[in-house]
Amino acid sequence: MTLTSAGYEILEARDGREGVDVLRARAKIDMVLCDVNMPCMNGLEFLETVKGDAAAPPVPVVMLTTDGAPDLIARAKRAGAKGWIVKPFRPDLLLAAVRRIAGEPG
Amino acid sequence: MPADSNESRLARLLSQCTVELLSELGVQPELVSGMPHAPSAGECVAAFSGFGNDQIRGSFTFLGPGKLFSRLHPLPSGVTPRDLTDWACELVNQSVGRFRNRLLAYGVKLALSVPQSALAESLRLASSLQPARSPIAFAIDGMVLEGWLELKIEPAFRLAERPLANGQEALKEGSVVLF
Repeated sequence: MTLTSAGYEILEARDGREGVDVLRARAKIDMVLCDVNMPCMNGLEFLETVKGDAAAPPVPVVMLTTDGAPDLIARAKRAGAKGWIVKPFRPDLLLAAVRRIAGEPG
Repeated sequence: MPADSNESRLARLLSQCTVELLSELGVQPELVSGMPHAPSAGECVAAFSGFGNDQIRGSFTFLGPGKLFSRLHPLPSGVTPRDLTDWACELVNQSVGRFRNRLLAYGVKLALSVPQSALAESLRLASSLQPARSPIAFAIDGMVLEGWLELKIEPAFRLAERPLANGQEALKEGSVVLF
């Protein structure tokens, strides 16, 4: 809602595995917002898969999750995540983060 | 159940986490003692999440009228049944997720299951399941959100009296960190 209202086009994937398929199938995806707690393939596995996949585009990934554990945040950073947001998020802060990563004026 | 037992203290912590979450969603929840005896009338939602480690296993279930989950939804008008069940999953995930974050400071790490939810008519937790669960009920805008906490704890486990000096501090809810 926050992002569509701001003019972004959103594609949804039900889990990490579907997320990988969407990324491989679509040439132009500017950013991924990804939960951690998901079925089939969790968000950290998704992150590590796409960052290690030469066939996937080098898209920025931001984790959006209820989990605030420092060791998981460090693991995501090591794997190449661009950020970590702990839910529930403030819509204005989410939008600001997305714009910053997209290189757009805030 | 003694007030200082592991179970009681964990139930209080989860209750506090849920009150914080509901308050951040813009409602003023009131803790209610006991549970309503009649099933919630009309369309109801149930959502649960499991959690555990090698010493604690459990689950937390939310149960309440569909109207209440709609009221808590960020877009209360035009909520579809799919939106409602997705949102119920998100609520229980955020409540248990906050509980897991708080427990890190006590040196307790929990893994969470993927939440599940269902939409049904006139729903009530089976009476055979109730003795094994701690009821935590919240009154919100004249409706009741039922919470049922199930815990199985190994005898050797003891929750610390207070957060540990060397406990981990979780990143606070609502935080945004860019790398």
